[in-house]
Amino acid sequence: MPVERPRHNIVLLSLSLIGLLVWLALDTVSVAPNRIVPGTAHGLVASLGWGGALVSALPLLALGALARRPTPTALRLALGLTVVQLATLPLWLSLAAHRLVDPDALGARLGIGAGVWLLLFLLLMLLVELRSRLSLSRLAGVSLLAAPLAVLGWCLTQWLVPLALWQEYQGRRDQFLGAILEHLALVGVAVGASLLLGVAAALAMRRWQAAQRIGFGVLNFLQTIPSIALFGLLLAPLAWLSAHVDWLAALGVSGIGWAPALLALVGYSLLPMVRNTFVALEAVDPGVIDAARGMGMSRGQVFRQVRLPLALPVILEGVRITTVQAIGLTAVAALIGAGGLGTFIFQGLGQAAMDLVLLGALPILVLALVADALLGALTETLRPGGAE
Amino acid sequence: MIDLIHVTKHFGDAVAVDDISLSVARGELCVLVGTSGCGKSTTLRMINRLIEHSEGEIHIDGQQIREFREESLRRRMGYAIQSTGLFPHWTVARNIGLVPRLLKWPAARIQARVEELMALLGLDLEEFADKYPHQLSGGQAQRVGVARALAADPDILLMDEPFGALDPLTREGLQEELRELQGRLEKTIVFVTHDMDEALRLADHLVVMHQGRIKQQGRPLELLREPADAFVESLLGGEGRGLKEAALLPVSQRMLPLGPRLLARERIGQQASLREALSLMLWRHAERLTVVDDDDLPVGELSLRRLVGVRSDD
Repeated sequence: MPVERPRHNIVLLSLSLIGLLVWLALDTVSVAPNRIVPGTAHGLVASLGWGGALVSALPLLALGALARRPTPTALRLALGLTVVQLATLPLWLSLAAHRLVDPDALGARLGIGAGVWLLLFLLLMLLVELRSRLSLSRLAGVSLLAAPLAVLGWCLTQWLVPLALWQEYQGRRDQFLGAILEHLALVGVAVGASLLLGVAAALAMRRWQAAQRIGFGVLNFLQTIPSIALFGLLLAPLAWLSAHVDWLAALGVSGIGWAPALLALVGYSLLPMVRNTFVALEAVDPGVIDAARGMGMSRGQVFRQVRLPLALPVILEGVRITTVQAIGLTAVAALIGAGGLGTFIFQGLGQAAMDLVLLGALPILVLALVADALLGALTETLRPGGAE
Repeated sequence: MIDLIHVTKHFGDAVAVDDISLSVARGELCVLVGTSGCGKSTTLRMINRLIEHSEGEIHIDGQQIREFREESLRRRMGYAIQSTGLFPHWTVARNIGLVPRLLKWPAARIQARVEELMALLGLDLEEFADKYPHQLSGGQAQRVGVARALAADPDILLMDEPFGALDPLTREGLQEELRELQGRLEKTIVFVTHDMDEALRLADHLVVMHQGRIKQQGRPLELLREPADAFVESLLGGEGRGLKEAALLPVSQRMLPLGPRLLARERIGQQASLREALSLMLWRHAERLTVVDDDDLPVGELSLRRLVGVRSDD
């Protein structure tokens, strides 16, 4: 057999080279005199000067070099460089702000350019790749982000005040936390309700063949209605209900607001939830069930001690998919006045203020990623015997 | 111990088991053998009511099985299947302790019983107790499956092709152990297989099934000598039956006491089968073998003529 030598890590190599390319070629920042006027874009050299441009590109070059001999030491070094590059991004932005933004112009704003966004994305991909190469836990991967976040937080208080995104946040400080909480509440209630309904529906479908056909038919149909249309369709019946049923009106149910949003969210969440629960329960090895019954377990014992625990990881997978999907969909619910982070997105679109759109979109992205990671980790710990 | 009296099973219009009667005595190892779809598994599963029989009666110790609660009936019988059916989310120890736990034994007694069974089946406690089924080899998993079936010390053991998925070497080892365990524990075992060699090796009582009916039953040697019809004969191996029979008979049955002649060079143990003796003769081009006991001391001799059953020597 040929001796195995560490080959080039092609992922590491291409990510760092593409990162270098976008960092050098695309806009780093844009500067605008006020909120409404589109800004002027600036490239890397214009933003950081020759020295800054050169220094900022060094870690990427080093990463590319390390990719050629990916020994464990090299990979650990690469991980360190990636974190350093992430942590220095706010510093480079600060430098750009210092060089380009007139400190006397009060309304002036610094926009983040495509180069920075793309590099951020590529660096996070690098982090994921290196984490799996070094087989670090999810938690370790997340904790590596602490240093870059701390640097960012500090820079925001000191040098990055003109950052447009930060200014939008400052303008809506009070609403921001509320919007996140509203968003989470809507998602939480929708996912919780669809979990209960979904499990009940999956159990019914396992029992009655007819329920299975009809159930999946209805759910598939629901899924095909565009979300905005579904909100519209719910408007009339809910308005009628709230006009005719006093206690519903007292509860705050009306044609717009949280009630139709919640109904629509539950409707969309049901299909992945039911499908995963149903498949999970059906997919348990029939030999295991046969043995359980043959050993003298009652039906209830078979379900509680064998079928359910074995199905749980797949059911949780459904919860994960549903949650991530609901976090995204809830943004649209802002259209009918349900609140949440979508409010910023639609306000921003209305005012042509892209940074306000980002103020809504970025937290949604982060929430989705966090939910995905947390539920993914939970699923991992519940796998039988720690593996399969 | 187990009596099936004119038992029939319909699935809709199809008849899976057609009017069979069968008695398994206490301590007997009864093997149901036949091609796939002959109703042997259905018969087994009717005994612990995983499948309800349509007609006839099934008795355990003279009592109709329908008089028992399903669960308590099954907890009295060990059950081992081809896929092992071990619970993947439970450790080996917990899997083995399943039925005792269902029977609400105190924890200390379950623990002691698990340790006893693991020792009985040659599973090292330290090494295996906390492993999960996916960390075991096929043979180890099947040992755990058998240990689990034996856990509550049931009188009856139902085994549905338990060794079917194992490699030949592991399978033979486990067959050997099962026979040995059977001799020691005196369980009543109903064993289903489609492998005739396995059936002949294990059975006290061999039942050949075909298309839902019992074609013939009796002791393995009886069936080999006097197959009831062409089907049983071909299932038993047709012209190959001679070797199958030889595999069941020990050398000690045909050997002669030591004569005045020089000892033959090739030796064979007195517990070895005639088949092994024949194979050795073919391999070594020897007409005579010296038979030795467990301490390798000569106790007799076996000639080719004696081996093939010619009465007088020379």
